[in-house]
Amino acid sequence: MEQVPLLEARGIAKSFGAVVALRSADLVVMPGEVHALLGANGAGKSTLVKILSGVFPADSGSVQVNGVEARIGSPVDAMASGLATVFQDPALIPDLTIEQNFRLTDVDLDVVRGWLDQMEVENIDFGRLVKGMPLETLRLLDLARALAHDPQLLLLDEITAALPADHAEKVFDVMDKLTAMGRSVLFITHRLAEVLRVCDRATVLRDGRKVAEVEPKAKGEAALLEAMVGKEVKAEYQDPEQRVVPADAPVALEAIDLHSRGKVNGASLSVRAGEILGIAALEGQGQDRLFELLSGDRQPESGEILVHGEPMRARSPFDAIARGVVSVPADRLHALLPQRSVRENLTVPLYNRVRHWFGLARNEKERAASAVDRLDIDTRAQSQVRRLSGGNQQKVVLGRWLASGFNTLLCFDPTRGIDIQTKRQIYDLLRELADQGNAIVLYTSELPEIPLVCDRVLVLYNGEVVHSQDAYSATEEKLLSAAHGLAGAS
Amino acid sequence: MTTLEAKTATDTGRFQGWWSSHGWTAGVWVLMFVLIAWYAALIPKFGAFQVNSIVKNSLPLVMLAIGQAVIVIGGGIDLGIGAMMVLANSAAAVLMDGRPFGVTLVIAVGVVVALAVANGVVGWIISVSRVPDIVVTLATGFIYGGLALLILPGPGGSTSEGMRYIFTGSAGGVGSNFVPPVLVVTVVTVVVAWYLRRTRPGLSIYASGSDLNAAYLSGVNTHRTKIRSYAMGGGLAGLAGLAVLALTNVGDPRFAVGSAATLQSVAAIVIGGIALTGGVGSVVGVVAAAIIVFFLDLLLVAVGFDSNTAQVVQGALIVAVMMVGGLLEVRRRRLE
Repeated sequence: MEQVPLLEARGIAKSFGAVVALRSADLVVMPGEVHALLGANGAGKSTLVKILSGVFPADSGSVQVNGVEARIGSPVDAMASGLATVFQDPALIPDLTIEQNFRLTDVDLDVVRGWLDQMEVENIDFGRLVKGMPLETLRLLDLARALAHDPQLLLLDEITAALPADHAEKVFDVMDKLTAMGRSVLFITHRLAEVLRVCDRATVLRDGRKVAEVEPKAKGEAALLEAMVGKEVKAEYQDPEQRVVPADAPVALEAIDLHSRGKVNGASLSVRAGEILGIAALEGQGQDRLFELLSGDRQPESGEILVHGEPMRARSPFDAIARGVVSVPADRLHALLPQRSVRENLTVPLYNRVRHWFGLARNEKERAASAVDRLDIDTRAQSQVRRLSGGNQQKVVLGRWLASGFNTLLCFDPTRGIDIQTKRQIYDLLRELADQGNAIVLYTSELPEIPLVCDRVLVLYNGEVVHSQDAYSATEEKLLSAAHGLAGAS
Repeated sequence: MTTLEAKTATDTGRFQGWWSSHGWTAGVWVLMFVLIAWYAALIPKFGAFQVNSIVKNSLPLVMLAIGQAVIVIGGGIDLGIGAMMVLANSAAAVLMDGRPFGVTLVIAVGVVVALAVANGVVGWIISVSRVPDIVVTLATGFIYGGLALLILPGPGGSTSEGMRYIFTGSAGGVGSNFVPPVLVVTVVTVVVAWYLRRTRPGLSIYASGSDLNAAYLSGVNTHRTKIRSYAMGGGLAGLAGLAVLALTNVGDPRFAVGSAATLQSVAAIVIGGIALTGGVGSVVGVVAAAIIVFFLDLLLVAVGFDSNTAQVVQGALIVAVMMVGGLLEVRRRRLE
């Protein structure tokens, strides 16, 4: 007798403007199984989860629950169809007490307490405000609330991230109980070791498509990684050349044992003048925070940042910029003044110098023009930066620092969503800047780019540097397995 | 020994929790009583007549501020709320003129419901169009203000003695029976506070204002919640308009009355501890804050400022109170 799948999603597609997040994703979850949803950054995992939980609708495709077509237009619909989701950021209201939060969603408090007891989460004062409670407690509270809805399928988005090991065990126990009841769990995680341990089957997404359905326990880690990376991808990239940074080059920027609120946990790094240091990490491993610390946007709780051997002690990005540490953030529009012209955007940092307050810098035009030339910025739409394409916007952000000068450049995923030609131009530019004696720290979510652009690469996992090697020999498999926190990657 | 220590620790935690969520409210009430006590010491005689005067005269602003508070807690702001009060005042004055108490009571209910529905539509427009609250309500404020002038081109109309009694404590509007107006404030405050804090639809208003995304993910119908908070604001503005009518026994359609009232309602909620970003604060604190905003003027004149200087001082005091709130918040963030 053929079993009816608990959840069957077919041909799910979703685009955000010009960015395609899901092309055609399929997912079949059988009753009573723990099913893993895997994929590298940007493969479309979160988009699929959000569609299944009603956060936004799919552009096309169908979802069936127990063989019946389900229309999921809102989180309420998803819950009514028997799908409950625990998101990475707990959906609890910060300004309400725990009890009020539960009352808001109409769950039975005793059932919630029962699940909390099972997870051995005790001594929770339900009268306390959610604001200020530790993230791991909130995750478990959110999980207990989802369980109290008595779902057919429980979707867990990165629930074990930032959970201490003993709590993660409790979550696994709960998953066992659910599957024993014939319920299923969709488990989204970056931790492959957990997948190997608890998941019956795994669906692997790559580039918005389902590329494989694997039984992790039978096939092992290598098969999962291979499915996530894909073979044909590599052909697109040319062979990397080996570069050597002279060992006597001065250290431009050094970070020693940085800590920041559980997001960065003792990260250290150093980058020499003339070197491009790559940072590789899966989503949510503290890379955002690390860059905030380095760029002076936040102060570390402990640890030190040295610029040319002297403490940076930046209270804001202004101080960091004054010391020559400049940054190109992930969201280009954060760095740009979208309604101003290319020239104004290029020359913004110059306004920091007092003599420029009373008018244009004498050489403002020349500086801007030379940056435009060097970067090959398409200036047809230069009166307003927001009209430029993403790639050209990114060039303007880079060009701004060319015009004002710097010695260490922090680039956070500068090529996300940019076409391949512009990507090359940006990489060539980074290389040129490094050759002129600047230090560059580059985080990129596209691992195959690392050997092409970088001299050295560090892998970040849970806020710590877990792996370091020459970029030249950094294959995607090596980086991925280190980034998944698997031991013996080196 | 250890258990005892643990218990004391949670007790301290409880107290800190209470203090962090109710401390501001308690502080505003203390401030209000201190100001009233000061005033009592300044004037020759302070008794039931003065209490009645303070309560009934601040009643319109108290109602209006509670309405504004509900909307702001839900993540919005209503710049048309004062105009709504004026519209309710004018419409009720025309409709109630010369009618017996029973009829005016029905009209009063009708006015409140009509404004609740009208402003619910405003909430619907904001939610559907995603135009910022401040823009939509600025525009609807003009509509309400214009309607008031259409209904009643100049001061006129009146209400019944019974209506005057409900909101002022006497049929003629002057007296020392403060029980009815105090009862009105108490009932409205308790009902609104209970609704917001103890019921699901009320908690949804806090939730939407605190974190719209998390509220949506928890299954709150954020669209309906917006409509609900604006409808409540409209109803309370209607009550404020009725209170003005009872106080003066005349309809006053002037636009300036409404805009001044809107600004005062915002000042009152900010002093009352409502965060303009939404989701934080209690309407109980807003009641005391609204009385303070009304009363400050009286007090400053009693102290000897002329009324123009009093206005400057009033503004400066509001800034000072808000700065205290802002600095406390900065300190809290540092400690976290």
